Amino acid sequence: MGTGPIKQIQRIGLVLSAAPGYSETFFRNKIEGLQAQGFEVVLFIVEGSKKEPIDIRCDVVSAPKFKGSALQVFVQSVFVFFKALLASPRVSFRHFQLDIGKGFPLGQCIKRLLQNAFMFGYPLDWLHFGFGMLAVGREHVAEAIGAQMAVSFRGFDLYLSPLKHPDCYALLFITKVRYHVLSYEMKQDLMVHGIPESAIYVISPAIDVQFFKDSTGSFESKTLVASKVLQIVTVARLHWKKGLEYSLEAMTILKKQGVPFHYTIVGDGPEYERLVFAAQQLGIREQVTFAGSLSPDLVKEHLEAADVYVQYSIQEGFCNAVLEAQAMGVLCVVSDAEGLSENVLHKDTGWVVPKRQPLLLAGQIQLVANLDPLVAKEIRCAAIDRVQRGFNLEEQQRAFVGFYL
Amino acid sequence: MERPLKIAIYSGEIPSTTFIERLIQGLSREGVAVLLFGVLKHAPKYPESVRVLGYCSSRFYKFMYLLRYSLLLGLFRNQDKRRLDAFLRAYGRSDLYSKVKCYPVLWQRPDVFHVQWAKGLEDWLWVQDFGIKLVLSLRGAHINYSPIADPEVAAMYRRCFPKVDGFHAVSKAIGLEAEQYGARPERVHVVYSGLDLKSVDTPISSEDSKILRLISVGRSHWIKGYSYTLDACKLLKDSGMGFKYLIVGGANMIEYQYQVHDLGLELEVELLEGQSYEAVQHLIGRADLLLLPSVKEGIANVVLEAMALGTLVVSTNCGGMAEVIRDGENGFLVPIRDSQAIAEAVMRVQSLPESKLEAIRAKAQATITAQHDEAIMVKGMLALYREVSSE
Repeated sequence: MGTGPIKQIQRIGLVLSAAPGYSETFFRNKIEGLQAQGFEVVLFIVEGSKKEPIDIRCDVVSAPKFKGSALQVFVQSVFVFFKALLASPRVSFRHFQLDIGKGFPLGQCIKRLLQNAFMFGYPLDWLHFGFGMLAVGREHVAEAIGAQMAVSFRGFDLYLSPLKHPDCYALLFITKVRYHVLSYEMKQDLMVHGIPESAIYVISPAIDVQFFKDSTGSFESKTLVASKVLQIVTVARLHWKKGLEYSLEAMTILKKQGVPFHYTIVGDGPEYERLVFAAQQLGIREQVTFAGSLSPDLVKEHLEAADVYVQYSIQEGFCNAVLEAQAMGVLCVVSDAEGLSENVLHKDTGWVVPKRQPLLLAGQIQLVANLDPLVAKEIRCAAIDRVQRGFNLEEQQRAFVGFYL
Repeated sequence: MERPLKIAIYSGEIPSTTFIERLIQGLSREGVAVLLFGVLKHAPKYPESVRVLGYCSSRFYKFMYLLRYSLLLGLFRNQDKRRLDAFLRAYGRSDLYSKVKCYPVLWQRPDVFHVQWAKGLEDWLWVQDFGIKLVLSLRGAHINYSPIADPEVAAMYRRCFPKVDGFHAVSKAIGLEAEQYGARPERVHVVYSGLDLKSVDTPISSEDSKILRLISVGRSHWIKGYSYTLDACKLLKDSGMGFKYLIVGGANMIEYQYQVHDLGLELEVELLEGQSYEAVQHLIGRADLLLLPSVKEGIANVVLEAMALGTLVVSTNCGGMAEVIRDGENGFLVPIRDSQAIAEAVMRVQSLPESKLEAIRAKAQATITAQHDEAIMVKGMLALYREVSSE
């Protein structure tokens, strides 16, 4: 199965940690796109709370939660175990057999069976794990139910999770899997683990280019005047991997060099205290606004007012926020972290600066601030055109249909 | 003869950090009656003059504990109890937990109530209404960055600091920080942390090695600035220098794990979990150079320990570090947030002749003996307690 045009409805099981929230366009778009193309989608939720509102029009199946006292966990486990044996005896046996075949001890085999049994009763053509780590411990589910297995790597799971959990993908990487990654760099990094090139599909993220577009035409008239306050924006979660401390250090250099600027960081997150302290200690607290998490409408407003967009990440799968900024015609300066140098083409649609070097970032921002208006317009147009054509939702949906064929 | 003082030391938990425990022991040796309040994790062996009055965290224990002090206060000091209850109500803290915390202090009525962590200060202002003097230690995150990132904390400090009877500042720099929130300068007493120098076992000079052994010790927290030393390590590696860098307490922090991997430093850098006090002393003693890349500190105890142990120190010039280290004389100071400066300082150390390094080590040890002996710390704290209680 899985070759040629869709002759019959394909059923895709999508495994996520939680139901996608209202603002998580990636999975929502993917589900809606597949449904529009005649696929049936079943959503498997492995960690999310049942209290979360789920407004997606597809079957949603949640994993049982083994919690409470030891007795409660035991009773629940016995119930799940016998339910699996009675409802899906062949799949359960196959799963067990595959685990034993890979050398898992008996206790582990039972534990893995209990953890995965909630997916056994669904005949699927594809079982697709939304993040790499979700496939860990579930490597044999697809084969047991007779489906093909797909795994998406999004960045964090490929680059950071293995540092925290060494060898976590050892079994996954010897299992027959079709991989989806966000960038060619990620593809190369995955191939290092012995994954054949043909099994890895690069499907870039996409944004709503109808929403994120310069409706006012303001960028046409936008010129960077040396005397005015340069408006710099970053949209990012306040997380160390976004490299915001380095960004703030670059802003300090700009201040020392007498560049009038204001830097707005849109987003919240665990590093708020660290970043506010850094801004204060670096003497740029007045030049920095922490705007917090904002609605797409307000993000758009900030982008409309921005002269330069900065994404100086330490680790980045691809980054939708940079696509949105480009689509709005904002000049983008990004780091060379993983997918970013494919997101922004250096000197064509923006600028790519080596990461962890605030001096270089400050220098690049200054160059951009003093850019010839015609060159700036050329770069803005090239960025808008590239994002509109190559990173729209329709394009992504088409790519995903192709992924399963 | 002076009346023996009754000092309550409150850090929230019993036992507390190494340095607070050292203070407790030192005060008891000076004949001071020390009272310890807070959650009792486990009771270390204290001398007779230390009374442990904490409570276990089980509900039953807390209930019995509250019952006991409610009865004692209700029967013998009912008016005081009613005044305290009124205070707690006024501050919206008339819950049972607040009473568990406050009733025993009211019953014991020490001369001085010494709060170790500033964020909890407002909970204890009431003690002054009962003639108890309030002393606050200025240390750590509570002063260094919490009020900067959290305007509510800063506002609370501005409300409460002017009322405090005495401040114990672990450095002059942190004392100045407190003055920004209304601490009256004449009430700020700088008492440096002290080491038990008798227990410091200076290691015999480390074995010769072409590989420079660098070490940092501290919890996995951004304030420790390890990203700067790791960036500096990359510069050192690129310069061709052979070195090993151990971060004790840096394990399990994915930011550092990724940075090590990203910069290709897997062979040079080791991230180790937190170790026992003895093991840390041993590791510092074996190292050639201790790096303190913190973006903020009071005075880092680990630097004092390294200097006492005869290990050279490169420290950022943050907080009160310049009150201990004089650059090129008894250690090395570099600007904060500057990887290049850290790398250059390490190279500078490596280029110095052994005789010069030995002189720096000797001066470092002399600084610790003169300024950071436990006896000096205890004497300083006693002077502070006596001053506030005589007012």
